[in-house]
Amino acid sequence: MAESGPAIVVDDVSKRFRLYKERAGSVKEMFTKFRNERYDDFWAVKEVSLQVEHGQVYGLVGHNGSGKSSLLKMMAGILKPTMGEIRTDGRISALLELGAGFHPDLTGRENIYLNASILGLQRKEVDGLFDEIVDFSGLSGFIDSPVKHYSSGMFVRLGFSVAVHVNPQILIIDEVIAVGDEEFQRRCFEHLYKLRNNGVTIVMVTHSLQIVRQMCDRAAWLDHGQVMCEGPAVDVVHEYLDKVNLAEAQRLEVEDELRAEMDRAAEIAQRVSTSSADRPIVLREVEVLDENKRPTRLFRTAEPMTVRFHYESRADVPEPIFSFAIESQNGVLVANPALPVSRRPEMLRSGRGFIDYEVPSLAVGPGEYSLSAAIHDKDAMIVLDKRERILTFRVDTDEPIAGIMDLLGEWQDPEIGEGTTA
Amino acid sequence: MTAATELWAYRNLIYNLTQRELRSRYKKSILGWAWSLINPASTLLIYTLVFGVIFGAKSPVAGNGHTAVFALYLFAGLIIWNYFQGIVSGSISALQSAGPLLNKVYFPAACPAIAHVFTVVLQALIEGSILALIMIGLGNVSFTLILFPVVLVFLGLFALGLGLVVSVYNVYLRDVGYLVSIGMNLLFYSTPIVYQITQVPESKYGIPLRAIINANPLTKFVGLSRDAFYFLQWPSLMTFVGVIIISLVTFVLGWLIFIRKARNVTEEL
Repeated sequence: MAESGPAIVVDDVSKRFRLYKERAGSVKEMFTKFRNERYDDFWAVKEVSLQVEHGQVYGLVGHNGSGKSSLLKMMAGILKPTMGEIRTDGRISALLELGAGFHPDLTGRENIYLNASILGLQRKEVDGLFDEIVDFSGLSGFIDSPVKHYSSGMFVRLGFSVAVHVNPQILIIDEVIAVGDEEFQRRCFEHLYKLRNNGVTIVMVTHSLQIVRQMCDRAAWLDHGQVMCEGPAVDVVHEYLDKVNLAEAQRLEVEDELRAEMDRAAEIAQRVSTSSADRPIVLREVEVLDENKRPTRLFRTAEPMTVRFHYESRADVPEPIFSFAIESQNGVLVANPALPVSRRPEMLRSGRGFIDYEVPSLAVGPGEYSLSAAIHDKDAMIVLDKRERILTFRVDTDEPIAGIMDLLGEWQDPEIGEGTTA
Repeated sequence: MTAATELWAYRNLIYNLTQRELRSRYKKSILGWAWSLINPASTLLIYTLVFGVIFGAKSPVAGNGHTAVFALYLFAGLIIWNYFQGIVSGSISALQSAGPLLNKVYFPAACPAIAHVFTVVLQALIEGSILALIMIGLGNVSFTLILFPVVLVFLGLFALGLGLVVSVYNVYLRDVGYLVSIGMNLLFYSTPIVYQITQVPESKYGIPLRAIINANPLTKFVGLSRDAFYFLQWPSLMTFVGVIIISLVTFVLGWLIFIRKARNVTEEL
């Protein structure tokens, strides 16, 4: 595919939808109401221009209602632009919904032929691809049963399998890959990489910035139907993160406040049952600080971080153990540092104070993490105070990292000769 | 015409949609394909009882000079009516039910309606063959039979032209669908199917009734079908050319309107 022009040109495209106040649908309304009263205009896409070159993988990001799906549908020819023009060069296959057009009463085999023809293939072409499609879907044992007996996973697998095998020159994907089991997802991505290596142009809408960074060459960030930023995928993701994180940080803080509120209520309830004498020390607050010791909720991998415990002891406490746990969003315990014997104060005097735990370089991958904090007595037998998930913070990276950790290592230049393994 | 070449590119889809409709039509029924015979047979029986027996409708003498069976005279007209109505009403539901699909995948919006036409053609061919077999049994048969497929082609274009227009307007205004079913009822009785054109008074209350019914294009199609099966006579060149012109004009107009209006039809479905 060495065409010279771009694969898709979006030229100053706008799309208007009419939001009917009352569903138009009767002749009476035509006479009883003036036309302009029946609907509101809603511009889903406003004056968008962009170009996708042949062989490029192009990502569209933005939150719900930003117009990315409308734009995608216009590229696929399903919707027509109200203004402007979209020019495409090459056969388009759109994966807006997997298994769209499957007829429940027909068998898998019949549906493969039907679905492939919806995507524009001739019968002979399907004959040639049939075995490959069935193999990829892994449904050879069920191919002659009606698809209504398929599980939803099987349904989707067959749909994806057909859609990616029609040899598109341009593939348009709308957040459909997040389906099926892990094994199938992995194969989907492998197949997409293969298509990309074969020079297929891919345009995808996704919420996963990870995917954009990993797969896309270029990207556009849409907000309220307008392009906020367009360029190399990594730059767009950065720009997007910076803006979105502001809002995100505010959201996390609000959530924490709510949680603190609830904790306080729980604490009061607990205080009623246990006398304060049993609780010689309480955690007043826990903060995470950036390198300038300013509270924040957003970090980048390998940045310094400080965890600060504010406590109040009502009596002298001998050798208290401060500890905290960091959990990833899916509940994996990332770290659980506790104050070691060597650093414990022999006696913590009554009064207010704070203690810091300094992380020189936060070596975790991108994601949201929650922090729980606790104070135990010197034998680690009695819980003096404990706060589950007292705060949440977020980590982003510049370069994509797979896995929960960044080992912070550095690659060295290759050297001639044998290493220690010899 | 890019729209026509596009349709050609999607011929396999039309083929598969036709196949899908045919395959799923009689799934889960014991009698299966027999239904495609039972349905017209029951209509024929009812109309014969009501109009032939109760109203005592007479049928003209057939082409062989002695057969005069009202049921057969009626059947030759009913085939035409079923075919016409099947295409027009079917076009509406074809576009409607393709809505969810059209919102997910791009293909020419006329494909489902065209695929539906083929299923109706098949049904008409079955009915036509049965009538032809009966006529052969009665010794009332001639080369005029080859008129029948020709009629199907042009009536098909005529009905599809109308069907495309009403189907696309029905998406914007559901009233169209209801109006069409009333219109169909009216049209059925404005076509000499259960009666003969000669029974219609020339004029009543100053209304030229017979001329109106004669101007109905379906009257011509029904006439051609009876020429083919019943009277075994060739139509006049004028009638024939007239029918062809009306069919082609209706189809082309309908097609152009459809293409224009179907541009934004996906959002409305």
